[in-house]
Amino acid sequence: MAATDTPMKPDGFHPRITAFVCNWCTYTGADLAGTSRLQMASNVRIIRLPCTGRIDHMFIVKAFERGADGVIVSGCHPADCHYTAGNYHARRRFGVFRELMDFMGIDPQRVTFSWVSASEGAKWKDVVNETVARVAELGPFDAYHELAGDTVTGGEPAPGPFEAASGAETPDPLEELEVGR
Amino acid sequence: MARIGVFVCHCGENIARTVDCARVVEELKSHPGVVHSEDYKYMCSDPGQALVRKAIEENDLTGVVVCACSPHMHEKTFRGAAAKAGLNPFLCEMANIREHCSWIHEDRGEATDKAIDIGRTIIEKVKHNVPLETIRIPVTKRALVIGGGIAGIQAALDIADGGAEVVLVEKESSIGGHMSQLSETFPTLDCSQCILTPRMVEVLQHPRIKLHSYSELESLEGYIGNFKATIRKKARSVDEDLCNGCGDCQAACPSRKIPSEFDAGIGKRSAIYVPFPQAVPNIPVLDRVNCTRFKAKRKGIEKDVCGKCQEACLKGAIDYEQEDSFVTEDVGAVVVATGFQLYSIGRDQPAGLKGYGEYGYGDVPDVIDGMQFERLASASGPTGGEILRPSDGKPPKTVVFVQCVGSRDPEKGIPYCSKICCMYTAKHTMLYKHKVHDGKAIVFYMDIRAGGKGYDEFTRRAIEDDGAQYVRGRVSRIYRDGDVVKVWGFDTLSGEQVVVDADMVVLATAMRPQPGIAELAQKLSISYDEHGFINEAHPKLRPVETNTAGVFIAGACQAPRDIPESVAMASATAAKVLGLFSADELEREPTVALVNEQTCIGCFSCEQVCPYGAIEHVDVCDVEGHVCGVVARVNPGVCQGCGTCVAVCPSKSVELQGFTDEQIYAEINALGSW
Amino acid sequence: MKELRDLTRKLLADGDAGVVIGWEEGRRGARPAFITTPDDADKLIFDARCVHNLANYLNPRKPQVKALGKPAVVVKGCDAKAVAGLLREAQLTRDRVILIGVRCGGVVQTPEMPAELTEATVATRCYGCDVREPKLVDHLVGDARPEPPVTAALDRRIAELDALSPRERWQFWTSQLAKCTRCHACRQACPLCHCERCITDKTQPQWIESSSHLRGNFAWHLTRAQHLAGRCVGCGECERACPVGIPLSLINRKLQLVVKDLFDYTVTDDPEVPAPIGAYAVDDKQEFIE
Repeated sequence: MAATDTPMKPDGFHPRITAFVCNWCTYTGADLAGTSRLQMASNVRIIRLPCTGRIDHMFIVKAFERGADGVIVSGCHPADCHYTAGNYHARRRFGVFRELMDFMGIDPQRVTFSWVSASEGAKWKDVVNETVARVAELGPFDAYHELAGDTVTGGEPAPGPFEAASGAETPDPLEELEVGR
Repeated sequence: MARIGVFVCHCGENIARTVDCARVVEELKSHPGVVHSEDYKYMCSDPGQALVRKAIEENDLTGVVVCACSPHMHEKTFRGAAAKAGLNPFLCEMANIREHCSWIHEDRGEATDKAIDIGRTIIEKVKHNVPLETIRIPVTKRALVIGGGIAGIQAALDIADGGAEVVLVEKESSIGGHMSQLSETFPTLDCSQCILTPRMVEVLQHPRIKLHSYSELESLEGYIGNFKATIRKKARSVDEDLCNGCGDCQAACPSRKIPSEFDAGIGKRSAIYVPFPQAVPNIPVLDRVNCTRFKAKRKGIEKDVCGKCQEACLKGAIDYEQEDSFVTEDVGAVVVATGFQLYSIGRDQPAGLKGYGEYGYGDVPDVIDGMQFERLASASGPTGGEILRPSDGKPPKTVVFVQCVGSRDPEKGIPYCSKICCMYTAKHTMLYKHKVHDGKAIVFYMDIRAGGKGYDEFTRRAIEDDGAQYVRGRVSRIYRDGDVVKVWGFDTLSGEQVVVDADMVVLATAMRPQPGIAELAQKLSISYDEHGFINEAHPKLRPVETNTAGVFIAGACQAPRDIPESVAMASATAAKVLGLFSADELEREPTVALVNEQTCIGCFSCEQVCPYGAIEHVDVCDVEGHVCGVVARVNPGVCQGCGTCVAVCPSKSVELQGFTDEQIYAEINALGSW
Repeated sequence: MKELRDLTRKLLADGDAGVVIGWEEGRRGARPAFITTPDDADKLIFDARCVHNLANYLNPRKPQVKALGKPAVVVKGCDAKAVAGLLREAQLTRDRVILIGVRCGGVVQTPEMPAELTEATVATRCYGCDVREPKLVDHLVGDARPEPPVTAALDRRIAELDALSPRERWQFWTSQLAKCTRCHACRQACPLCHCERCITDKTQPQWIESSSHLRGNFAWHLTRAQHLAGRCVGCGECERACPVGIPLSLINRKLQLVVKDLFDYTVTDDPEVPAPIGAYAVDDKQEFIE
């Protein structure tokens, strides 16, 4: 997409952030940010769900696959969930998934988890700006976008599975560590 | 093939100022599946809505995307417009380019790009929207009220007066609850029984109220509008249909020294008894624990012992062989009004509570609790309303009242304020002073919390007119010293230790929820707090509802409440119940979960996370009709549409309508075209 | 051994069980055995080579086993945890299986290896084993065995990975997952992957691309791990089944540690203890949430 310069974007890089938010708290909080005319970075695209409990880890994976450089997951504060406990369940699942991503080499800094209530328009603005700034710092998530040759972002096709298995060109930093069998 | 119409709103200048609406229209026009795209200054106005309707009709649209404000603002408006044009309203979605775009960005180019993205995302979603029908659930216009205290009575009467039937379940043999035990009530000092008993009789005589006394809820199945309650009618040993309440059995009973629960243990009753003369229903109950006949049976004596009540009953209503029986009632709503109990000053304390050993543990007979004082002061009480101390029956000349016994004392297990004790202690001092004119009433208090109409004036009256002496401070120790009860306290205002030689001490003990509340809450799938009080759905905006649709609360089961509050709450609950009953069918948003029973493996992860208990088990049969598996099914009447089940389903065999995986996948994919 | 064989004979002779699933001597070490007649009971063995998690045969996806009648299954402690998982997730009812527990002193890494347990041969899962004597059993056989040799190799490898930068971990895992051919042997070998239609086979929408390029592979392995979080018993059958040698146990073990750290939860062989995902505590850790 065409882009213009704003202070949020060093080196002309525009991080693309997909946000998964609950309808009752964060979406309404983002509405409030609008009603309050709080100016913020324009890099975030919101996908509205009824509850953080509805948000599947697959959403994050798919967002990265489809070109996102960062992801925001946000919902009601503990005890505020419109459905009583959806956010508690989400907290458990994403507590684990965040560690899993980290372990697999997806920098957890690319994913922001936050509680933003319907009255926290200003906090939403901060979450947006901070996430954009952090991901801008990290740079594009080409590593993920280029995992498959037919990637939507174009660029060099990633090596096929067996090419990579031969591993000649991909330096394995763990070879000496004997991490694999 | 999708035929989507896109409608871009300028919202006056609100959107158009930062978003180039014409460019949004043009860009989205070429988006696959879009057959119509236009903009208008105020899309939500009548002419704007007319554009939407016209486009739907002329272009045979299969979906509508309104690029305008937040769905919280106008989703209803545009879905209504779509419905008017014959399009299923759930095929219309809002793309929020105002709150989430034009209002928060200044750069016109960026804002326009973002608006186009938002439009594309929603267009892709709408392509996967399917027509949904509003869910309609039949409603049984009959309410179950659990608890026959003042809250339950008020709720039952209000609901029944409103035209619906009521089933009232009371665990004791008579309705009336704690209020029937009180002597007078604050802040008016009107006689409690005088105002309560007419209402009790009204319950009995009401054509639309069915009373099950000495009964408890055994189980509850179903969901809002369609509950099936099983009620255990405990063995009363008296045939309710035959008994005419003459009282001959009670007079004939030789066991007469059983502490009366109604008199808070300071009066006596027989083994077969009505708890108090105005009991409703006026049918006795046989206390099998204390009855000579049953005691003998338990000791293994074969021969029938006693039987005097049976001999005395001319109606032949006494039935020693009676067993618990069960009745089922179909109801559409449930009201929980189980009330409270007092923090026990006895030796035995439930887990988590430490008791007040330093206050005599109930070992000192002249240390009593507030309810016992009520019975002493009551004209219908064991002393006929004379204030006489339990140990020797002498009128006490110095009475010490201790407030906050249990309440506001996290050390002892209860951090909350019981709210009514300041008022009833003031009342006690007045009742006492009115009867023992030369008596001295001393009150130890932490703070006086007298918020309420006429409340502060009332406590002032106790102090200023009736001469109650208020000492600000806690009592550290109470013990018996010869004829007197020594009270060691501390006056925090003068900074001095205070020792009082009292004749009697009244402890204003904390209010606690009824025992068994956890079991009841589980039967009803409602939640309770760490103290056992039932949780309301929202502390401010939904104070009489619970998180289970169709289950309501009234009175002190939710938190410490006085009589006016309990009654107000009960009437509020009745209004909610009558509102629910006002239509023949409940209408529900169809954005509920739906299980694909073909791929469900019945692991019931969904059931584990569902906050509403909406997941049911359904047998799957093979062609011969043999059960070959169990799968989950969502009860659309109970589901509230959070979608937590969808996220935990490992095989993605459950979908949330309106937010299906296909819709969200399409949205994420649409963002890939940035 | 005699105890196990006698019990098997009795269960089959009395008709209590239609099949006893245990281990026997195969051409290349120990292998699963399906004993249906009392005469074959003497084929059964149990030693450190009996690495297979036989709970997999109780998985409802295995109609061939179901056809043999009511199963009696020989379970080590770790296998019993998997049985508990199946019970917990309503894939099995307790009355439909007979569980013969064996006291275990650890197993070797593969059934082809000699039964000798040393620090080099012992399976990584035996490290810190807390169920050497399964509780969820109808019969418990065998003598108590000595503690297995200690090998913290897996945890050491995880610590090494944790010490790297995300970028280095990414390189490690892409090089590993690039080998994946999406044969899904890991799924088939897992006693707790019991879905009739796996999410990776769902096409409407297709969350996980099915072709074996890195993008689909990543999505698959992230999902497999996430779905097993708090459920995986650490039996290592997925890794053993993997034809291209992806170190899946690293991921599984990592999530065991995460679940322990976040929810103080360890998978047990008590089916009444609910799984951590699906439950919650109001005061769960949430430092990661802004």
